[in-house]
Amino acid sequence: MHWVALQPLPEPDQRPHSGPLATELSDALAALGWWALQFTPKVTRIEEALALEVSASERLWGGRERLLRHIIESNKPVASVKYAQGATSLIAIARLQMTGFETWPNPSTRPEGNPLPLQRPVTAPDALPLSALAAARPHLATLERMGCTCWGQLRALPRGGVARRFGASVLEALDQAYGHRPELYPWLVLPEVFEATLELSAQVESAPALLFGARRLLNQLRAWLQMRQAGVLAFELGWTMDARRDTATQGALVVRTAQPTLDTAHLQRLLGEHLARLTLPAPVQYLHLRTLDTQGMDGESASLLPDEQRPGDSLHQLLERLSARLGSQHVLQMQARADHRPEQMQQWKPASSAAQLIAACASRTGARDEKNQKENGFYPTWLLASPLKLVVRQQRPLYQGPLTLLAGPQRLEAAWWGDCALRDYFVARSQQAGLLWIYCERPGRTQQGPDRVPDWYLHGIFA
Amino acid sequence: MVVMVFRPLVVSLDEVGSAVWRASELGGAVGATVGTGHPALDAQLPGGGWPVGAICEILQVQSGQHEWRLLLPALTRVAAGPVVLVGAPRVPFGPGLVRQGLDARRLLWVNIDASPARLWATEQALRCAEVGAVLAWLPQVRVEQLRRLQIAASAHHKLLFVMRPAQAQGDSSPAVLRMLVASCPAGEAPSDALQVQLLKRRGPPLAQALTLPACQARLSALLALSSHGRLAHANREGADALGRLATAA
Repeated sequence: MHWVALQPLPEPDQRPHSGPLATELSDALAALGWWALQFTPKVTRIEEALALEVSASERLWGGRERLLRHIIESNKPVASVKYAQGATSLIAIARLQMTGFETWPNPSTRPEGNPLPLQRPVTAPDALPLSALAAARPHLATLERMGCTCWGQLRALPRGGVARRFGASVLEALDQAYGHRPELYPWLVLPEVFEATLELSAQVESAPALLFGARRLLNQLRAWLQMRQAGVLAFELGWTMDARRDTATQGALVVRTAQPTLDTAHLQRLLGEHLARLTLPAPVQYLHLRTLDTQGMDGESASLLPDEQRPGDSLHQLLERLSARLGSQHVLQMQARADHRPEQMQQWKPASSAAQLIAACASRTGARDEKNQKENGFYPTWLLASPLKLVVRQQRPLYQGPLTLLAGPQRLEAAWWGDCALRDYFVARSQQAGLLWIYCERPGRTQQGPDRVPDWYLHGIFA
Repeated sequence: MVVMVFRPLVVSLDEVGSAVWRASELGGAVGATVGTGHPALDAQLPGGGWPVGAICEILQVQSGQHEWRLLLPALTRVAAGPVVLVGAPRVPFGPGLVRQGLDARRLLWVNIDASPARLWATEQALRCAEVGAVLAWLPQVRVEQLRRLQIAASAHHKLLFVMRPAQAQGDSSPAVLRMLVASCPAGEAPSDALQVQLLKRRGPPLAQALTLPACQARLSALLALSSHGRLAHANREGADALGRLATAA
């Protein structure tokens, strides 16, 4: 059995030199625990530290020393850590508590070929102080008066007397520490649903300021997603507000993405756009983050050729960001419809899925184009949202001056089942506005009369 | 004793070659270009096309009159990727665009009016890796905002067209290429051609305006017929003229 104890270092703002490894996490110890699960399934939380039983996975990682090197330097941990090791978990924890808060020399500043001093001088178990044994801590003062300050001295005392005086738990802990008794812990497992709560250090009154707290939760979420090899599809940010106000005490915001993502920066921007539109009825005290939907991520396949990677955001990120800020009704993509009325031929719908756009861009349209170009009739490039009724003078329609009819009519008779469209389309030229697409509404059979003047409408522009 | 012989260094400008740019020549293409599809315009543009990764500024008296005729050939050549329209003046008519070779499903239309939102959307679109080209209608854009767009376009190597009103031609602009587009005056030979005046390009100023016969091919055939008077009474006679044209085409 071999145990490694890990403890995250305090937040970077409390330390003078914040390393590049430090990321803001709402619960660094939990994130570190999830991260440590990749080295061994036996990870447990003891007091404010983590203990990893690594003897079973040493061979997988190529030996104890290489595993340690992996844990400490090659695999960038989610937070800066200090570590200690020992034959049992209690020895490792006790040694961890004896090491100070000195950090590792930064790998980037260390000269090449000078490995980390992994084998530091270690204290023998007998010489470890009793203050590092949790079970003995309530009796420290008594033990000190007896002249017992380290584990070896306590162990030398007669067992019966120790049990009567300090209880059986001290002896049990001591046996566990020396490996005479098995160590059983509730092992850490990765939760199925991510759920985290953050108490804000100060009450937050404006919604956009919640983003600072939410960022820490999102970083925590990323650590969880990375371990599950999943991307988030939907998550909920909830908040608890000051109960003393006579308003609702809970609020929540659901953010969805079209594709599973791990990208905290993208999620943060989306959240920012949503929060910017919120007003809070009362100051917020707690933030909660919960995943609603996740999906396994495929591994990214790297390109063989270096040039294929284009820098920039992906299309679905663009769509989501535009829709989040401007509203999805303003970010549109076209969908063709089978109808003869020009205004019904196309529908501009909110562009929700990037996949559809990408498919449209990738599809070969050559054959279709040829077919389309053989079709009859002319279509303009701009369409008016609703046909503009034209003034008619001397039986000639006017739009920025008199119009000259160039071609037509192209007769349209459609939608007899409803809003009947009986139109003759013409291409007309205006001196000012160029080529226009106008139509003359033929009167229906029921309303036909000899003296009825047909209405003219402007419907499109050949731009 | 060392005798040093000095010879006069005579180098004509021809030997220097492309290292020296003469003011009378067109500038060399700094980056990639996309052919405009109008040979007359290609001949006058440095690199022979629209510059990729720079602003092409298109000024017009009335917005929404000439854009598609001028830009569609280039947009159909842009290899792949969506074409983003930011704040188009009217509804783009998909079937009409499809007839001219641009798959309208490639269009992403950001339909907003507020000027800051348009600028933001334009910049975001430029940042996207997949986007092929961006068309932005920015009637009230300031120089520093254009400069920001220019930087975004060059950083992400995108084709960017900015449509502005003709009043802006007196203002300074960071655009690499500026042109004033108008319809040809009536009576000149190819009717409904575009008149393009290059206001700014990397090269000597071009005094006279270019005339581009930019019109849908079949529509121009029809217009040619109508100019001969054969379709003068088309509106009375009915659809037979169109039918005749369809068999001819």
